[in-house]
Amino acid sequence: MEERLREAVAQSHADYTEARWEEVTRSRVAFQRDQLMALESGEEAGGIVRCLVRGAWGIAVFTDPAELPRKIAEATHLARTASGHVKDPVALAPVQPVEARYEGAMKRDFRGVPLDEKRRLAEGYNKLILGFSPQIASSSVRYTDAWRKVVYANSEGTFVEQGIPDVTVMVAAVARKNGDIQQGFESVGYAAGFEVAQGREEDALTAARRAVDLLSAKPVQGGTYTVILDPDLAGVFIHEAFGHICEADFLLKNEPMRKVMQLGTRFGVESLNVVDDGYRPGERGNVPYDDEGVPWTKAYLIKNGALTGLMHSRATAHKMRAEPTGNARAVSWEHEPIVRMRNTYIEPGTATLDEMLHGIERGLYACSAFGGQTMFEQFTFSAAYGHEIVRGKIGPMVRDVVLTGNVFHTLQNIEMIGKDFVLEGSAGGCGKGGQWPLPTTTGAPHVRVRNVTVGGR
Amino acid sequence: MDILNRAAAKAEAAELYEELREGIAVHFNGGEIETAGSESVRGRALRVVAGGKLGFASTAGGSDEALLASALGAASHGDPAPFRFADGNGAPSAPVPVLDPEVEAIGVEELIAWGEDAVRRVNDEFPELIVNASLGRGTIEVAVRTSTGAQRHERRSYLAVSVSAEQIRKGDIWSVYASRSVRRANDLDRDALLDDLLRQLRWGREIAPPPTGAPPVLFLPEGVPVLLLPLTIGFSGMSVFLGTSPLKGRLGERAFDRRLSITDDGVIPFGPRSRSFDDEGVPAGHLPLVAEGVVENFYYDLRAAALANVASTGNGVKGGPMGGGGFRVPPGPASRNVVVASGAGSLDDLVREMKDGLIVAGVLGLGQGTVQSGAFSNNVGVGFAVREGKVVGRVKNTMIAGNAYEVLKDGLREIGGKSQWVFGGLSVPPILAERVSVVAQ
Repeated sequence: MEERLREAVAQSHADYTEARWEEVTRSRVAFQRDQLMALESGEEAGGIVRCLVRGAWGIAVFTDPAELPRKIAEATHLARTASGHVKDPVALAPVQPVEARYEGAMKRDFRGVPLDEKRRLAEGYNKLILGFSPQIASSSVRYTDAWRKVVYANSEGTFVEQGIPDVTVMVAAVARKNGDIQQGFESVGYAAGFEVAQGREEDALTAARRAVDLLSAKPVQGGTYTVILDPDLAGVFIHEAFGHICEADFLLKNEPMRKVMQLGTRFGVESLNVVDDGYRPGERGNVPYDDEGVPWTKAYLIKNGALTGLMHSRATAHKMRAEPTGNARAVSWEHEPIVRMRNTYIEPGTATLDEMLHGIERGLYACSAFGGQTMFEQFTFSAAYGHEIVRGKIGPMVRDVVLTGNVFHTLQNIEMIGKDFVLEGSAGGCGKGGQWPLPTTTGAPHVRVRNVTVGGR
Repeated sequence: MDILNRAAAKAEAAELYEELREGIAVHFNGGEIETAGSESVRGRALRVVAGGKLGFASTAGGSDEALLASALGAASHGDPAPFRFADGNGAPSAPVPVLDPEVEAIGVEELIAWGEDAVRRVNDEFPELIVNASLGRGTIEVAVRTSTGAQRHERRSYLAVSVSAEQIRKGDIWSVYASRSVRRANDLDRDALLDDLLRQLRWGREIAPPPTGAPPVLFLPEGVPVLLLPLTIGFSGMSVFLGTSPLKGRLGERAFDRRLSITDDGVIPFGPRSRSFDDEGVPAGHLPLVAEGVVENFYYDLRAAALANVASTGNGVKGGPMGGGGFRVPPGPASRNVVVASGAGSLDDLVREMKDGLIVAGVLGLGQGTVQSGAFSNNVGVGFAVREGKVVGRVKNTMIAGNAYEVLKDGLREIGGKSQWVFGGLSVPPILAERVSVVAQ
């Protein structure tokens, strides 16, 4: 495929042409209660070409490799059609052409692990959950792995071939008492081998215990609280609430938002540092070369409380007179690259958890994330569980903890940043513009925030 | 030799799913076109029962040999198949119409023109807003064949338009969104889509303090999924079998308000999720879920049906509860077109009647939490305050919380008269409800 790709992009008549061909092998095991719901393997191959003509993009997605030259012609034609309607043409920031090959490391290559062993692994976790308590009504355990081989060439002479591993384990327990249903879950995801999926028994038991404990937890009382976010939730917060608005494609043709996101603007306390790092081997957000062939960078989004950078593709970097940061990512061969996060985290500060608890008369300790969503400055995210904080002490467990707020106010309201730090990928993924689930990693220490709105009755 | 015959020679039974997706789409960013694209994607999935055990494999571009070997390999480590693949019986006498040749005739230029028209009409009234839009059309050709006699084949068209408008001011950013997804070109009412969008923008010119406590809450069709999403999981035959549905053991019980009737209908002519057969080759039908508040049926794919000792209802859809998984994933029970019977009263009547309350037109964080319990707690992404029967402005930093089962049983005040398709496959009227708590900063 390498030669075909090189040749096809070289012969294109568009102003700029890139072609990406992917071969993916994957397997999946899923249990629900006593049912083996999925035991499967799959392989697929497909490609996408993207052509720029007079400032407009044309794209063609296909599965037949023989169609490559015809698809470039088709994408060129589409771009030309669109270009007649463009007043603000797209252009690309210059980058040095690269020739590179990279493969993610695996201690134990999951492609060589028999499907039966993957099944037994998942089944073991599942049995631990089901056997935990008679109050466990059901369970859900899922193992997935995928090896994505990506071959990329563009008309400027860049050629990159990458092998990207991905492994996830998700364990969830459902507990039921009378009509009430509660859920506990844990999940991990890494760009690594089978080894990271093994030894997760503690996760399974934790999920089961939490589901049972939540049955006797009270729903949180709605209101405004001082909240301590655990590292997991703080990581999701920084990804959802702040990371997404630092994706420069969102600002590309949005003059007023660019003014809001002016570099140098103070967004938080002096001790706040936020990073999107492209190079973290073994983590899901590890992206040595993005899907425009741009090498990774470590991008500081916030340094000492002030906005210092954004995440860019080549097009957004050109428009905003910045350097491409290697954040142009596509979830699969069915999609074009758009600006996405990689390993996004809040750098550790100096406070201990005890220091953070001190002085909170009535607050909330919010832990682990169901997920989150953002709409510009408005964000919301759901904690898997929480605890009341009463007079500086962690109190009883509460459930249905959903936090919401305005990201700019909330960043200003960060009072303390912990010195503990956890960087961890989950089994889920990030969604944007119809592309889901993109492997990303989030991280943070404990973070204390005042004046957070919590939904509830 | 055909892969299905080869599979059947090595296994007791086999099912082949084939999908060809072809279409074009254009995307507008900041009021002008940015990309125009096409896709032509062919994928396949094979399920086998070999040695009594079930195996599944999928591929795009892979060989017959590899696909067959993967499926057989999976089966060798699998569990006994609790069900049989579809047979040829029960074929619908007249297939439901799902293909409109006029959709296929729509070109890139036309999609661009529609997008430009939407941008112009929003900006004529609200010049400072940033308008984004996506427009696409295409066909999905699906064939399901089994060694047990099912032979189904269908091409379905789709035409989808979504438009969003963003207002960006320092310290006050908000956006509204409207979309339509249809199978027939004539069903696309672009004027209605823009009317929805513009109405929200007009309502939202001013910011208003939200009513808090437990005010009446009017869910517009775009907000009704807050209440409906738990039900689409609760009515799944698999959730019922696993014991994770609050509706387990409650068939025939009046679990909802008497005025609530919900049907899962796979055969509405040109319905956005209509199909003559499901992704397992079982004919799709019309299934009452709730009739006048009484739980009537659950929906089943082949597996859940066999486990529960009932027949499949033709709800085997790839991609689980919300569907849309494509060839890669095995089928599971999922709703088709969910239709909530409308009541009476226009939107204006409902707003007048609620006097002081909150309108919810969209939320953030839908589906995050223990959805199956019915609990919801969401940020009101797009919402409006109503005072003395009039919309006075949009709300900010506002959360709603409650339990969907409780609201639909004891908190239903009124079901509106005019339904609308939202989220691709839900036809819902506005619902005026109580027992929703509202918290604001």
